[in-house]
Amino acid sequence: GHGSARQVALSPRSRSYGRSCVEPPSLFWQTPGRLTALGQRTPTARGAAKAYNITVRMYTVALLVQNEWKLSYVTPLYRFQYTKLKLYSRHLAAFILAEKQQGVAVEVGMEAGFRVTFSAVFGLAEKEEDAETVFIQIYSKPMFAADTPKMVWRGWLTCVNGDPEYLRSLPPDFVSLPLFCSNGSEYLTARVKSWFGRTFDCSFGSLCLSSATLNWLAALWTGCHPTCDIGYLKLYWSMPTQPTLDVEYTVNPHDAWELWNSICAQDGAEDMVSVEEVQRFMAGLETHLFRHFKIYLSAGSLVKVSTALGSAHQDGKIKIGSSDYITTLLTLLTECALLKTPV
Amino acid sequence: MALLTPYSKIPELNTATILLIENEERFQTKLADAIVQQEKDVNVNVRLARKLPLPLENGDSRPRVDLVVFVVSLRSERSLQAVESSLNYLASDYYLGKVCFVVTDARCGTLAQERMLRVRRLAASHHCPVLCAEHQTEEGIAMAAMRLLTILKVSAGLSPMATTALYLSSLTRCAAAPELDDD
Repeated sequence: GHGSARQVALSPRSRSYGRSCVEPPSLFWQTPGRLTALGQRTPTARGAAKAYNITVRMYTVALLVQNEWKLSYVTPLYRFQYTKLKLYSRHLAAFILAEKQQGVAVEVGMEAGFRVTFSAVFGLAEKEEDAETVFIQIYSKPMFAADTPKMVWRGWLTCVNGDPEYLRSLPPDFVSLPLFCSNGSEYLTARVKSWFGRTFDCSFGSLCLSSATLNWLAALWTGCHPTCDIGYLKLYWSMPTQPTLDVEYTVNPHDAWELWNSICAQDGAEDMVSVEEVQRFMAGLETHLFRHFKIYLSAGSLVKVSTALGSAHQDGKIKIGSSDYITTLLTLLTECALLKTPV
Repeated sequence: MALLTPYSKIPELNTATILLIENEERFQTKLADAIVQQEKDVNVNVRLARKLPLPLENGDSRPRVDLVVFVVSLRSERSLQAVESSLNYLASDYYLGKVCFVVTDARCGTLAQERMLRVRRLAASHHCPVLCAEHQTEEGIAMAAMRLLTILKVSAGLSPMATTALYLSSLTRCAAAPELDDD
């Protein structure tokens, strides 16, 4: 573990000019402005994408794949117990029904009630400190017994490769599942969030993916190409012109991989990918487009990245295309969620 | 190399010149208008440029520049890259209190913190202040203009309190916290 105390030693940056009472600006009169749990630390290197050994039931994995998920970050849950999942299911179903009957509902539906299932998905958590993923499904019970229940909403809370120092620093009653993914109507998502907030004293916030995160995804997914055909690498850019110019840049996967390989080969470290390599990769793609179309992509912003392994949109929407490299994607997203979670 | 030097020309009486450098040329003009409108006592010349080095043609007729302001938009990578390359064309004398960074869109939620950190590190290594400006509202532009005018008057030697640009810069320069570098 981390034994050494970090010393905030300030070496005087410049000798004072003329007066000895003028000191270099110190931290003591400045707030460091740390708004998030992990401060300003962003990783400069991360492990290369690893294939995922499927130890999870195929049915559950199939539920994660092929849906579009809307992302949020969650603060740690207080007294969330994996032994009480059935109880939580009943409570949530009753809560949604009660809210609906109170007239809070905007939706017009013919449901007689809701059936909720909470289940723990084992196998996604990588480290010891990670909590197990929780999967929630909401089925609507139809008015007539003859109809089959329809799944109207699904969501999951997960923590994959979370920062171990932070997870260990949490008080014992708290469970941290910082990434929340939801698929379904906004109304039900709001109800679920409200129930979680009341029961576990947590709060949710929307998670947007920055261009840095999307760059990482593009590079990591391209790196997977030799073992798993990514099909294509599509980058969607939005240029700040009047009217806005949208650029859809499709790269042949083999060409993308050759570019990526030529960048990685220079440095040699097999397993770790550094942020400079990612930047060089993106710069290479941008220069190529500039050579042909004279458009500076760096003047705009990267909005979406998509391969056969999945797609990620700046607004915080993702799609998981295949279960192969799912842990890489989830590690990145967990990290984004932890970085955005307020202290 | 065509370096811009601060002391190679003779200053004019009661005059201050500010050079606004912005790659996108969006905020420059509004800021320039606001600066000129706000200042009544001193003659303020506002010069606009996209990048350094400045073209050689009009070099002789340009006045002495008292404050160089780099405007960085955090929305685009290119903005920061253009500023980084422009920094090479300023004489080192400028960095003793005559350079300032203005950053727009710092509050945009979808942006990574990394670009802001890079600007702060850049400013800290050059001993310059960083101002965050709101470029979409009238009040924001007026506020940015007012802050720049305050710094400009000191850099031009027009401050009534006999403050030098170097002294002011030692108080206002951006201090990148050590923990930003450690991790």
